[in-house]
Amino acid sequence: MKRRKFLKKSTLATAAAFSAPFILPSGRLFAKTMNRKVNHVVFCLFAGGVRNLESVHLNEGNLMPATLAGADSTIPGLDPLPPSPHPVRLTTEGALFKEFRYREGPTGHFNGHTVALTGVYTNTGLNLAANPQYPTLFEYYLKHNSPSVTARNAWWVSNALGPYPALNYSSHPSYGPIYGANHLAPTALLGAYDVIRQPKQFQFHEEELIKKVRGFLNKNFDKESSNDGKGNFNTEADAESIRNFLQSMITLVDQGGYLNPLGMPTQTANNDVFTIFFAEEVIKAFQPELLVVNMTDVDACHSNYSQYCNNLRKADYALAHLWKTIQETPGMADDTLLVVVPEHGRNLETNTVQDVYGRFGVDHTGDPTSREIFSLILGPDSVITRDTVYGTPANPVGESIDIVPTIADALGFLPNITSNFLSGRVLNEAFR
Amino acid sequence: MRSYLFTLIAFFFLLSGCQQEQDIYLYEVNPVDVTQDGANKQNLKSDLEFLSLAFSDLFGQTVPNSVLNMMVTAYNSLGDKTLVADILIRNMLNSPQAQVPGASEMRNNPQAFITATFNKFYIRDPQEYEIWFLTDLIENDQQITPEIIWYAVLTSDEYRYF
Repeated sequence: MKRRKFLKKSTLATAAAFSAPFILPSGRLFAKTMNRKVNHVVFCLFAGGVRNLESVHLNEGNLMPATLAGADSTIPGLDPLPPSPHPVRLTTEGALFKEFRYREGPTGHFNGHTVALTGVYTNTGLNLAANPQYPTLFEYYLKHNSPSVTARNAWWVSNALGPYPALNYSSHPSYGPIYGANHLAPTALLGAYDVIRQPKQFQFHEEELIKKVRGFLNKNFDKESSNDGKGNFNTEADAESIRNFLQSMITLVDQGGYLNPLGMPTQTANNDVFTIFFAEEVIKAFQPELLVVNMTDVDACHSNYSQYCNNLRKADYALAHLWKTIQETPGMADDTLLVVVPEHGRNLETNTVQDVYGRFGVDHTGDPTSREIFSLILGPDSVITRDTVYGTPANPVGESIDIVPTIADALGFLPNITSNFLSGRVLNEAFR
Repeated sequence: MRSYLFTLIAFFFLLSGCQQEQDIYLYEVNPVDVTQDGANKQNLKSDLEFLSLAFSDLFGQTVPNSVLNMMVTAYNSLGDKTLVADILIRNMLNSPQAQVPGASEMRNNPQAFITATFNKFYIRDPQEYEIWFLTDLIENDQQITPEIIWYAVLTSDEYRYF
């Protein structure tokens, strides 16, 4: 949909809503009453390829002590970390799907992310330069949530660039950028500090003059300017608040506020830790209803198994800090689900690349072990069946395509989704 | 036979009439060069083209690779391209190296300033109504600055197109 046409339609629709009842394409007079379980969902893609053997099966000792019960790992090459930021193990405040599955399609990082965010398995390789074919979780939320919300409420925080920015909206003609989330790759953005650090500040009356001149110029160039190249859409007020937020991030960097992120020594912190640090800043600033953040540093495993284990512990620490911050954020505490799932696992067999401790790397090329993952759904005691475990190796419970319907159900907009792309189910076991 | 001959002659005159040179009347108006107007721009600049052209237009030099890489990284790091382009343009405008004309230059000859601005950024001459609107704004609002006009042009829809 063209941006200006969308704005005109939005204005007319808003006006019409006050003057006449709105009949949905389904024939219903109003959207179904939303029955929310919670008002916020944070979805952490615990990604990079995490094998169940090193995570929930504890084959190397407990590499996720903030999340799981079990004696800490003592393998060589692990950096010392501070104690868990959260006072209790995360599984005690959530439902653990110990044998979750990524059932179909290539076990590639982007494939896995795409499946997790669209709820549809991709059985072929993806065009890494293109947006997904099917609508993303963000688009379902921004299109079908009732009452309507703006993209200020939907964030995709990625720990890298590459193909990941394309996941904030799909190429589906009924959805697309108008319903896209605000994407932010914080560590990449702040790596380009020199070209963003000192934006020209205009006074209020100057901004008004700018609008007047630009409005005149755009009116004369009225070719129904398309969304091509414009990315997701923000209202003027939201764009201003995001601009202010980014400026506060630059100030924070100027003042060294990113040092010792999440209470971890800077020299120990990796890109995942910094990404969660900035995702927490988004949470504090906007209290979004839907935020997705990913971590991928465990993918060091291709060539450095020990670093994989090391980074798995850091991801675990960062996850606990994220949950702690959610519980300390007014508006989100006790009203938020934290959904955790790796995008895929890793092979059973090692490759031939040895690290300094003589341990071999592990790839992810689609063998049965690389499809074995876990999922953890944390939430308020009144909502989640806490401290419960579902699934055994012989009887797995849940799969990757269940995440989108589960989140849509928790936020109450699942009944409003009229398209039939979602074949997964709501993970009802997790809920009271 | 005579009627056939008459028809042939009439047809000849009809054809030659189509090719007859017309008299040219020159009235007392100035000649006007017609250049491409904005409506004929159809091609969206790629992100790379947009950023590197904005740099060249503002600094009068080709963008260094290191700077372009950083700008592209920043551009790809935010989903709202309008917002991130705005941040990058504001940074460029804030640089002391940006070749923004002075306010006195603009006020001494608004039409020349407007024409130069359109030539530089839109690669076309301004239309008469564009000159009128902007001249009126410059002459009647003491708070308008060259930076304001340049920033509005750089963040306008037309600047995103060839």
